[in-house]
Amino acid sequence: MTHFDAWIDGSIVGLYLLATVIAGLMVRRHVGKVEHFLVAGREMDVHLGIASLAATEFGIITCMYTAQGGYTKGFVGALPGILQAVAMLVVGLTGFCIGPLRRSGVVTIPELFEKRFGPRIRWLSGLVIVVGGLLNMGIFLRVGGQFLVAVVGFDASWLELVMSALLVLVLVYTVLGGMLSVLVTDFLQFVVMSAGLLVVTFLILDDVGWARLVETVEKRQGPGGFNPLAEGGPGWSFVLFQSCVQIAATLTWQPVIARLFAAKDEHVGRRIYTRTSVFFAARFVIPGLWGIAAAAMLSDADLAALPAGTDGSLLAMPTYLARVVPIGMVGLLVAAMLAADMSTDSSYMLTWGGVIYNDLVAPFRKGPWSEKRGLFWNRTIVVLIGIFLLFFGLWYPLEGDVWTYCTLTGSIYLSSMSILLVACCYWKRANSWGAAAAIVLGAGMPIVTLVLDKVDVEHAFFLTRLSPNWNGFLAYALAAGGMIVGSLLKPSKAVSA
Amino acid sequence: MNPHGHAFWWLVAAFCIVWYSTVTIYVAIRGARDIRVMLERLAKSERPD
Repeated sequence: MTHFDAWIDGSIVGLYLLATVIAGLMVRRHVGKVEHFLVAGREMDVHLGIASLAATEFGIITCMYTAQGGYTKGFVGALPGILQAVAMLVVGLTGFCIGPLRRSGVVTIPELFEKRFGPRIRWLSGLVIVVGGLLNMGIFLRVGGQFLVAVVGFDASWLELVMSALLVLVLVYTVLGGMLSVLVTDFLQFVVMSAGLLVVTFLILDDVGWARLVETVEKRQGPGGFNPLAEGGPGWSFVLFQSCVQIAATLTWQPVIARLFAAKDEHVGRRIYTRTSVFFAARFVIPGLWGIAAAAMLSDADLAALPAGTDGSLLAMPTYLARVVPIGMVGLLVAAMLAADMSTDSSYMLTWGGVIYNDLVAPFRKGPWSEKRGLFWNRTIVVLIGIFLLFFGLWYPLEGDVWTYCTLTGSIYLSSMSILLVACCYWKRANSWGAAAAIVLGAGMPIVTLVLDKVDVEHAFFLTRLSPNWNGFLAYALAAGGMIVGSLLKPSKAVSA
Repeated sequence: MNPHGHAFWWLVAAFCIVWYSTVTIYVAIRGARDIRVMLERLAKSERPD
């Protein structure tokens, strides 16, 4: 049962969508160059940067996997957010890696690698970034659609139609206005999203109460729901893998780094990092509380009533929200979640598209392209990514923990790119052999884990007997080992050449 | 609201909610100004001198 009222709540959602598309289209006339399209002419200041980064890094997918984390792991499910908040704060204060990266004046990370490791490493880096990024993003539409189906209460057969309509709206303003439209709509989306998140959180705390949240975690997860290393907790493998993922994402997650590149200067970029750091904890903690509340308030019968083949731990939160959020507020919640999703989709399509254009296509260009031609190809690439998302989202059978899928796919490139960036900035001995070894080993481990997970149902291979967290952690260890061994093996004569 | 023996998570949750509420209002005001200045600068750079 849902409280979504077609007139009251539908009007709120319609008004929000109209305002977003108008705002996104209004700035398109300022896009005359590829630099405007990809990095907004590097004119972004601190507060717009905070709004944009926060809106980009919170989509319906984020809300769903963090709530699933709260539902299945208790308070410990918020640990990745706390780890990233610490990483953002430290990196922002010290300028570790992001200082040299912003000063270099590049548009993407692989562009920086070309200066140090050569054009082949730039291309290979671009390839793993795009593969990891698109696989990661591939599930966003379906999971977002599942949330909307549960909260709004429309028929599940509409899911594909809603996903397609949402994507077309996002594509219209992203293709025409690029990063400028993304920044302006991000701002609007940040305000709507934050208002919705906070109002719903207060409603939930009022409905459940802190004491019941604590009791639920004590009953379901025991001490492991409060401390990851205690009995019943996810253990060391989770802590180690998540630490690696969050540090690497802080340094090299393309949509985050895109804000650094779009910032007016290095100082502004670093301030955006420090001032957004708490948000990275909040984006896990707040929906995590929603997930725990769902566990507290839903009965086994409620979960059994979910459509066959769906994951109860994933759909518990939206099912609970549909019941607890009243008429009028459901409209705000849906607008907030659409805002969150649209800002994430637009930004992610633009940033992965930027890497395809700048690092994968660029080496095959014969001579420099005009700004008009460059803009045409950037826009075409964004449309092609949109089509890919639609089809991938439709056929990929998502099973199990969404956050584990996201971190494994992200690690296809996060593992090696973070190692390459640190080595590029701070290790003189690093060279192309080490870089190539790090990329192959860092990407290989998560890809093998994802493929074996589908084909080796008997767990005959050693890797499928390990937990995904250990496999993920190994990707970072192997990438670091590959960089060190590969760099030391290359003859010093070849290094100087 | 009482921490119920789990002060760490109570403090984390309270801090996140209070910080987020404050920052939303602050960024909503200052971010609008940033957009205006950014668009003015871009418009100025488009004009032929």
